[in-house]
Amino acid sequence: MREGVLQTSALSKRYGATVALSDVSLTIAQGEVHAILGENGAGKSTLVKILSGVVRSNSGGMTLAGEAYDPHSISRARERGVATAFQELSLIPNMTVGENLLLPRASRRSFWPDSRSSILHRSADVLREWQVADIAPDAIVEDLSLAERQRVEITRALSHASRLLILDEPTAALPDPEWLFEQIRRLTARGVAVMYISHRLGEVREICERATVLRNGQTIDTVDLSGVDDDGIFAMMVGRSPDSAFSEPVAARPDAEVIVDVRGLSVGKVRSLDLSLKAGEIVGLAALEGQGQQDLFRALGGAARPGDGKITVGGQAATLGSPRRALRAGAGIAFVPEERKTEGIFANLTAASNIALPEISRASHAGIVYAGLEKNVSREVASKVALSPRYLGFNVGSLSGGNQQKVLLARALITGAKCLVLFDPARGVDVGTKQSIYAMMRDFVAGGGTILFYSSELSELVHLSSRCLVMYGGRLVADVAREELTEERLLAAAHGHSHEMKVAV
Amino acid sequence: MQNDNAMTNAGAEQEDKRTTAKVSGEFVTIVAIFGLTIAMILASRAISPSFGSWSQVETILYLSSFLVFCAFGQGLVILVRGLDLSIASVITLGGVLTASLMNGSNEGLIYLVPMILGACVIVGVVSGIGVAYLRVPPFIMTMAVGLIVYSLCLGFTRGTPRGYPAPLLSDFMQGKFLGVPAPVYLLLVFVVFGTVLQSYSAFGRKLNAVGNNPLAAYIAGLPSGLLIVSAYAVSALCAGFTGMMLAGYASGATLRMGDSYLLPSIAAVVVGGSSILGGQGNFVGTVGGALLLTTLATILTALGIEQGWKTIMEGGVILLALIALREQSFAFLRDVFGKRG
Repeated sequence: MREGVLQTSALSKRYGATVALSDVSLTIAQGEVHAILGENGAGKSTLVKILSGVVRSNSGGMTLAGEAYDPHSISRARERGVATAFQELSLIPNMTVGENLLLPRASRRSFWPDSRSSILHRSADVLREWQVADIAPDAIVEDLSLAERQRVEITRALSHASRLLILDEPTAALPDPEWLFEQIRRLTARGVAVMYISHRLGEVREICERATVLRNGQTIDTVDLSGVDDDGIFAMMVGRSPDSAFSEPVAARPDAEVIVDVRGLSVGKVRSLDLSLKAGEIVGLAALEGQGQQDLFRALGGAARPGDGKITVGGQAATLGSPRRALRAGAGIAFVPEERKTEGIFANLTAASNIALPEISRASHAGIVYAGLEKNVSREVASKVALSPRYLGFNVGSLSGGNQQKVLLARALITGAKCLVLFDPARGVDVGTKQSIYAMMRDFVAGGGTILFYSSELSELVHLSSRCLVMYGGRLVADVAREELTEERLLAAAHGHSHEMKVAV
Repeated sequence: MQNDNAMTNAGAEQEDKRTTAKVSGEFVTIVAIFGLTIAMILASRAISPSFGSWSQVETILYLSSFLVFCAFGQGLVILVRGLDLSIASVITLGGVLTASLMNGSNEGLIYLVPMILGACVIVGVVSGIGVAYLRVPPFIMTMAVGLIVYSLCLGFTRGTPRGYPAPLLSDFMQGKFLGVPAPVYLLLVFVVFGTVLQSYSAFGRKLNAVGNNPLAAYIAGLPSGLLIVSAYAVSALCAGFTGMMLAGYASGATLRMGDSYLLPSIAAVVVGGSSILGGQGNFVGTVGGALLLTTLATILTALGIEQGWKTIMEGGVILLALIALREQSFAFLRDVFGKRG
């Protein structure tokens, strides 16, 4: 057994009324890549925050390389050799890559900043050391793509980590993890330990040796990954055995009612797009980053004004100038946006209030809202997304990301809209929540609704869609029927290599 | 036996063992601020025997009612991430219109009161439209509107407001019912009404949502613009009402009658535990804040402290209260007491 670099015992952390961690004990050995697994809300993010000095634990102890460790700031953690690449990137958008890489020590002198060339020179060394060839040190961070920013964030952490590197969902925006894995191997060869947090079990198995499973803020077990299969891990994470992952989706009947019909829509990057959604089908949309899928979804949800084109909802021509109008257009379109925190939740309101808000008149008598009534109204839709009723009274801000996502989906359901427009509804949530979301989507279309959803995970599109559209350069370049759906097919079309340029019906 | 049951239940449900604290930060703030006010009134006995009496409590309630009225509107505007700096001018507008239009007679009150308040609401709607639809920062919009309204008052009165409020209004403001000043009853009714509107009504819930996350409120299909405008309209309505009451209280209007209410109206809201950044707050806390500030001002005045020092001390206390009444301080206290209990 190699020497333990980091050891935690009985760590606990409370946020106001909510207990995020109650008892986390784990040991990470020198030079080891150690995975932390758990559902959303299991306490992974909180653990990362404590280790990296963002928040302090309420009780419990930590040792780093044999000495007590209790950082009260990120820079203090860094001085001890613990560096973190955060999931919500922590780069300063209007500064250069070089300055961001060297922060907080962009200058070696205490008052005068270093010359621009010195900063560029030193940061170019850092980029070269970690084999980042395609990002210029003088590029402005906000001009970079999400994937590039993530690599800068990771590179900065790599360059600071002398004892422990913490990677929180490092591949969420990385199309290809190979670069990261190679850097991790180089780092561990020097004896630095890596804590690796990811929902993607395949990746975890490839790079990690051991994993610690968290559930409800407690350590369940630390296991050798070679000795346990995926189902075993899943059972430890959720405390039960996995359901069958996907059931076969059904295609819409040919005579099914058309709920949403779009002709010649142009908005943002979208160029004269035709689309129709029928009752009973889940229509997937595959696309590489930035092909206009955001514009299409926002326009359908009423959050962006369509420039041109005709949209019919439930047989009536509709102008979707605002989300309010989209909800009220004919059969109604409910939109769940990509950004949960900024566009979705009301952190200070309870889950029940968050869900019931669009239908607040049903939760009130004579203009007065009753908490009990509100819970009753939201309980029914909450059960459709498998949101435990005990969370209804909690402030949404204190819930985990997965439960917040369930709240948002429940809010879309409560509006009674016949069409759901979901932008990456299962992104960054754990396996259990994913299952609940998929089940909700299937039930919804079985009940006569229709769903258009975008996903960054091809496997999700393949397994869930009744048919899958592919978008490239603002146009639909393929409409792949259920029987022909494969990841390879979607990937090829998404890169514009589609041999048949068949446009969606 | 009971133990056995509990254990099987826990095992069967696989329940999340993490618990929640029962006492909310909001509740602690309210208790603290009312406690502080009462303590100050009692402690003031040491200064003079006339203090700490029931009649002093009545006076404080009476005087604070003006602040409570206008702080309610301010609270709603702050809730939707705004700030209403036109309050002073709208109070003046309400007061000046009351004195000049009523002109010392009870005639036509049934038309005049809605007319005066309606004029104030229009001012609020203008501010709200500027903020919600023209995207002018709230403090600039309301300050500009306030200046315009003040200048209109100045022109309308040619510098000296004339006239008197209706005798009915003056009698009400100066009258007593069962030995208690009549406006104190009005205050109590208003507090109940305001609390229900802000925290328990569908309207208040929507304002909360808009203040909490404007973008999410828009996506969720709330009419955010309309809600923001209505918050400013209610604020102007409350300020106009305050001006009317003040005119009745002082039997006349002056052009500067609203000035001493602007900063206290903001302070009462924030001291009462609302977030100055919006999206969080309740009216009971604001009422506590208003009582605290009024008590402080009364005591400082009674001590014969000069105006300059008085203002400095008021400012200091507001600052201290803001620092002390933050959520973190209570989280700390809760932890300490939670461990003992």
